[in-house]
Amino acid sequence: MMTASPGSLADRTLRLLRHPVLRRLAQAFFVAFLLMVFAFLLIRLIPGDPAMILLGDEATEEDVIAYRKLLGIDGSIPSQFGRYVSNLARGDFGVSIRSREPVLSIVQKRLPISLWLTVTTIFMTVLLALPLGVAAALYRRTWFGHAFQIGASVLVATPVFFSGLVLILLFAVQINLVPIAGYHAGFPANLYYLWLPALTINFVLVPVLARILQSSIVETSSEEFVEAAIIRGTQGWRFYWRYLLRPSLAPTVAALGYFAATVVSYAVIIEIIFNLPGIGMTLVDAVRNRDYPLVQGIVFLSGLLVVGLTFMADLVNGWLDPRAKIR
Amino acid sequence: MLPVIDAANLSLNRREAVGIVGESGSGKTMLCRSLIGTLPRHGAGIVSGTVRFDGQELAGAPERVWRGIRGREIGYIPQSSLAGLNPVLTVETQLVESITAVGSLSRQQARQEAVALLEKVRIPRAQQVLKARSHQLSGGMRQRVMIAAAIAQGPKLLIADEPTTALDVTIQREILSLITQLRQELHMALILVSHDLAVIEEVCDNVMVMYAGASVEAGPVAALSKAPRHPYTRALRVSRVDRAVPGQDLEAIPGDAASVGSWPAGCRFWPRCALADEACRRDSQPALMPIAQQLSACIHAERMAELEQ
Repeated sequence: MMTASPGSLADRTLRLLRHPVLRRLAQAFFVAFLLMVFAFLLIRLIPGDPAMILLGDEATEEDVIAYRKLLGIDGSIPSQFGRYVSNLARGDFGVSIRSREPVLSIVQKRLPISLWLTVTTIFMTVLLALPLGVAAALYRRTWFGHAFQIGASVLVATPVFFSGLVLILLFAVQINLVPIAGYHAGFPANLYYLWLPALTINFVLVPVLARILQSSIVETSSEEFVEAAIIRGTQGWRFYWRYLLRPSLAPTVAALGYFAATVVSYAVIIEIIFNLPGIGMTLVDAVRNRDYPLVQGIVFLSGLLVVGLTFMADLVNGWLDPRAKIR
Repeated sequence: MLPVIDAANLSLNRREAVGIVGESGSGKTMLCRSLIGTLPRHGAGIVSGTVRFDGQELAGAPERVWRGIRGREIGYIPQSSLAGLNPVLTVETQLVESITAVGSLSRQQARQEAVALLEKVRIPRAQQVLKARSHQLSGGMRQRVMIAAAIAQGPKLLIADEPTTALDVTIQREILSLITQLRQELHMALILVSHDLAVIEEVCDNVMVMYAGASVEAGPVAALSKAPRHPYTRALRVSRVDRAVPGQDLEAIPGDAASVGSWPAGCRFWPRCALADEACRRDSQPALMPIAQQLSACIHAERMAELEQ
């Protein structure tokens, strides 16, 4: 029933290895490895020879060979992979074809803007979805609950490029509350540029998250232990937090980790609409310019970010809901 | 609107133990829930009648009044309390929360009090159990913790709704004797719900038999077991497994229990009753009438002897 006695060193090591946090970490590393392979295959799977495509028909044989070397696509596939992995291990992500700047330094310059967008968005998501989800659960049989259902469906079905433009029209053009587009680095000044893009993404995220929270609270409220708590005389904030909200948070936090990850892909659209020079915009430019090393680097590094965020969400969940650990 | 209970009578004195017995769907749990004011959660309510506790009228009382009753005056061990503990909280959190609901204790004092409570319900290694969560405890342990939570605020009345249903037979005995001991130690009155007459005979002074939302017989346990005055009570008694004679068929109650929404007209037990006649089918559900040492809702209470052949 309780934790067994310490046992031998081997036993303890085995138990440590089975520790849920370590298991999740191992999973995260495995996903990161798949990501690395995927980013590697990205260039290689494109039909045609990237070097030839980039240089055009007029290119000499020597130019093409030199270019292949630059892209890291010379030699056999296994030897390419070996070089690719050892380069990554040394933090060498290659050089942008367009600007000849190292991929890593480009990402280092652009990623913070997208990260700030992500953080602002998720902060806003939590701030809006939590009270909305709780209210939608508690008042689901009233007009508020019905209005919430309808409003949520409409918002989820609205594409961000449309709601983004509507919000720009409203806040930037009509009432002049924010700049139409652009960005200046530095906290907290950057929030001035970020809150409208974040709000735009939240037009999709908040309804979904609030509905997940609503349905898990509704589900929790029919649990035996909720009535048992009422019967014992538990009341006030303790009742709402301990017996309704906390046991319901697991799906919401898991979804939040996933959403944080999707913000990275929303960034592609949002950064273009709001002219934010983040990683999403860089990615679109890189694709347009056939800047393969840059695309590969961005895909890998932003993917790594997603893996990290999901891992963090899992950790938070383990702390919030001990049931998650034993599964 | 669907009537679930329409003719239930239950009264008990301080320190008295009353049992409620009846088949599933007879309204035992709903009756108990109405004593603790959580009917609305089940989409139900009290339409008429009274619930009096210590002279205070509780039927239709506002939530504010109920909060002073639940846990403090009336402790309740809910049915299927195996799922009654919050899986994300430790036992300590849930016990301390009940303890600190009355009086102002420091964290340390409340903790000691929680240990004392667990010891009171005969849980060994109380310190460890305090740190455990629901899934780490066995069914019997969970039930003991639920009992500890129910008595944490020193209630005057303890309601135990089928406290042994989901447990195996040896644990059932332990839980029953624990409830009996606690009742004496803490001078509590007890309402024990069960579908097993044997359990109630063991623990209670008086018993009330329910059938299809109505009290059909009530009185001292000894009187009802020796000379039942309602055919349903008798049927419950003779169908008991522990009375079975080897080699002989166990007597069963013919037909199915009347379910909510399809009660028969007249006395609700008549389709399953050997004494039933025209009057039983015609008149409405009879009220409890005194006969011998008990109360019976059978118009043929005098003719019980005929059933013995």
